[in-house]
Formats: sequence, structure tokens, C-alpha cells
Amino acid sequence: MGNRDRIFVVAMVVLACLTIGLPSAGAYIDPGAGSFIFQAVVGGVLAAGFAIKVFWRRIVSVFTGKRPSDTTTDEHPTRTTSDV
Amino acid sequence: VTPSPEDLVGEPVAGSFRDPAGFVFRSGGVLYRQVNEVHRDAYDQFVASGLAQRLQAEATIIPFEEVDVEAATVGAYKVLRPHEIDFVSYPYEWSFSQLRDAALVTLDVQSVALDHGMSLRDASAYNVQFHQGRPVVIDTLSFDARGEGPWPAYRQFCSHFLAPLALMSTRDVRLGQLLREHIDGIPLDLTARLLPRRARLRPGLAMHVVAHARSQRRHGSDGEQMETYRKRFSDSSLRGLLDSLRSVIRSLAAPRGDSAWRDYYDEASHYSDDASASKESAIDSFLDQVAPATVWDLGANTARFSRLASRRGIPTVAFDLDPYAVEAAYVSARERDDRHLLPLVLDLTNPSPAIGWANAERMTITDRGPADLVLSLALVHHLAIGNNVPLRMISEYLASLGRYLAVEFVPKDDVRVRQLLSSRDDIFPDYTREGFEGALSSSFEIVRREPVASSTRLLYLLRKR
Repeated sequence: MGNRDRIFVVAMVVLACLTIGLPSAGAYIDPGAGSFIFQAVVGGVLAAGFAIKVFWRRIVSVFTGKRPSDTTTDEHPTRTTSDV
Repeated sequence: VTPSPEDLVGEPVAGSFRDPAGFVFRSGGVLYRQVNEVHRDAYDQFVASGLAQRLQAEATIIPFEEVDVEAATVGAYKVLRPHEIDFVSYPYEWSFSQLRDAALVTLDVQSVALDHGMSLRDASAYNVQFHQGRPVVIDTLSFDARGEGPWPAYRQFCSHFLAPLALMSTRDVRLGQLLREHIDGIPLDLTARLLPRRARLRPGLAMHVVAHARSQRRHGSDGEQMETYRKRFSDSSLRGLLDSLRSVIRSLAAPRGDSAWRDYYDEASHYSDDASASKESAIDSFLDQVAPATVWDLGANTARFSRLASRRGIPTVAFDLDPYAVEAAYVSARERDDRHLLPLVLDLTNPSPAIGWANAERMTITDRGPADLVLSLALVHHLAIGNNVPLRMISEYLASLGRYLAVEFVPKDDVRVRQLLSSRDDIFPDYTREGFEGALSSSFEIVRREPVASSTRLLYLLRKR
């Protein structure tokens, strides 16, 4: 195998490595489908994590006497219309 | 009946054509939102469940009322009249904290919607606008009955909010400008490639950006299988998802970096207290004289002079090219509860273009004007000498932005101009007081000319011809 052949073979192998695993043409790819399925896959873990967090806050609140904070508004005070 | 644009009464507002639920139109100078018949059930639930009222009370959506005016097309169920936003701005013009607050308000609204059995169909950053100093969701037709399964707006939320915030926080604040190129948010695979390795390993970003992007690539053609996954995502999963997104966004620190401009007024070696005070009093008397309904401050830095207008209750937009200066101005306005000041990132040498479908979805800066009064303080020498823009062209562009112009002339003997000229040839023979007044007089007439104390600078008040 001459030098030129060797270069050709190496180039083909490199090209094959670069293209394997690339997604097919983008026009019919819907990232929304992947986002949807992804949520279903991680949904259980997220639900469990959230339940533990809420449970932990309740335990802490028993000792500190503070009401468990509302997850929608803490640290990000929303303005009420009374002061608009 | 599907409404068609052909039988439209009034003017549809650009960028409001994708949603079958309704659209925004302008009639007799007033802004309305039409609710289409197809959205009747969802709109009724939005009102009857108390969600509309609660979100308005919490000031997280734009206030609106139902009105009895002619609908713009057939197929209308109701017509709403929303409070009008003083100045429409876009995510690529926001600083880090502005985008972060917009993200958090979107999550808040979604969480409250869940309490009322509803859910946001979209989580586009363009659905948020700054109203009286705070971000509010403006798309009142984005609420659907919750149903079951994953959140359809999750991809959009990650691309519109999480991706740019993560890149600005962990890589470089300038990457926020990618939103200008990617109108539907920064693609997550691109974000994953641009994040620093350490950021990719942070649990929140590893999940919502890196693994999410991988899933998009892997399942991009699995749309038909989506139904089989629907049952695997409960309301608790959605609560967990929202909580996780909120945590990761809160954990992203505002970017810090060297900014030549942010400390401009602090160092202030080029301004004596005298000069500043005299400039302030001149601007104040210009404001008295013009009594503008809107003010734009170009090259506003941290909005020091813009505040002279905003403290009078005049809706004031403070533009600057430096994202750190805009960030400082926003954080300070938020702390002071200044409801009339909107700081925005804008490079005047390359201002926000018209983008989107037919180049008509998002407006240029000029499209959003003109303002009653434009402030252009210590700016023209940067454009004329720093960027080689001829004075006459500067004058014409400023005339397209406002009816009145307050402009500062910084002559060549000023320390700042000497600094600009130190690194380039002086190819600006017309940059003199006479040349400046001559160039401006093509578009304006001079109303007043005031010297700035303890300096050789001049302030002009000009009226557009």
C-alpha cells in the first residue's frame, strides 16, 4: 500500500468516525418530542426529589416554628396590585 | 370558523400571528387582544377559576379588561383590552438579571396556574415584558387546562431562559446576544457545547441542558411514541420540574467582569462635581421646557441622567452597549422601586434589527419610536471619532429617534476626546463646534445652547425640523 493509498484509507476512517452518530437531516427532527420524552424519563426522580424537599421543610418548620415557605414566591417577592 | 387576516378590522400587531387562540390588534390607536372561539373553554376556565384575577393581583400578568368593541375578524369570542406597555423590549436587550427575573416570573405564573388546574402552553421570553419596572407575562391566551403529561413549554423555557442565563453566568455575558440570532431560543445542543466543563457537571445544568439536549437528538423522530410516555409524568413531576428549574436559575450568579464603563461615573476624573451639577441642572430645565411624555437616553451608562426624567414619572428607556452598566442600572432601579426606568442593552453602531418571519416579528429601535426627547450625553464623540460615523449621519439617525434632542458636544481639547485621538490619526477636521452645529442643523433647529461648567463642553436642546 503506497503512501497515497494509506492517506486515503485514514481519511475515509476519520470521515466515517465523524459521521457515525450524527442525527439524520434536521427538517423532520422535532426537538419537542425529545423534550417531552425526556420529562417522562426524569419525572419520577423530580417528583421524589420535590416530595423529599417539601417533607424536609416541614420537619425544619416544626423546630424553627416558621411556616414552610411557599415554593412559588419565596425570595422572589411579587408585587401586589395594592401597591401598584 | 377560522378567522382569516383578509377580513381584518384594524391593524394586526407584528409577531402575533402564530397563535390560533387569538391575536393582538390595534384599532383607533388602542391595543386590543382578540380571543378566538376555539379558545372559549380555556379562556372561561382562566377567568372562572380565579386564575386571571389572582395573577393580576400578584402583578405577574398584564392587567386587562373585557371590552365591548368590534372584533377584528370573524370567529371571535371576546375582545380584551390589556394595559399598554410603555416600551416593548426583547430578551436580547435585557441584562442578566432582567432575563433572570423574567424567567422566575414565568415559573411563578406556571406554578400558580397549576393551583387552578391550568398550565402555560408557551414559555417564550417574548411573552414577558417590563411593566412598571417589573417583568409580567403579557400573553393572556397562553393558559390551557392542565390535562396530563409533560409540560409542553419545557423545551421553550430551557432555550429561551435557562440556556442564555447559564451561558452568560458561567461562560461570558456577551453570549446573551445569541438570542438575537436564535429567535426561538438558543439550541440546547449548542448551549451544551459552549458551557464550561465545570458548568456541564452542575446537576441542574447537566439535567436540563446536557441530558435534555441528548434526549432531543436521540428522540427527535420519536414523535409517534409520545403518547406512551404521557402517563409517566404526574402533577408532582411537574411541580418537581418547576422547583428544579427555579433552583438552578436562582443558583446562577450574575456575571462579573471588567467593564470600562460601569465605573465611569465613580472614577469620574473627567468630571468635576461642578460640571456634573451644571449638566444635571441643564437637563432638568430641558425637561421642564419640553415636558416630554417619553424619554430615551442613548449611551446612558448606569442611567444617572436618565433618572432625572424617570423620577418625574416619565417613562424613560436608558440604553447602553455595556451589559454590566445595564445590569447595574436595572438592579439599582429595582432596589429603588423606580417604575419608570427601563435600562436596556443596545449598541448604537449596530442597533437591534427587525428579525423573525418576513423581518417583521420583532421591531427595530426606530420602529418603536420616536421618543419625545432623546438624550445623547457624552456620546457623539464616540460615534464620530471612535467609530468614524460622519456628523451629518449621526444627526439624521438621531432625528429618526426623537422629536427633541438634548445633545452634548465634547470638543477636541477635552481629555476624553484627546484619549480617543491618542490611538488614531486625526482625520476629523469637521469635528469642531461650527462643524457640529452645521451638521445638526440639517435635521434640527437649535432651541438652546448651555455651557457645562468647569469644562469646554456644550449642551444643546434641539427641535426636529
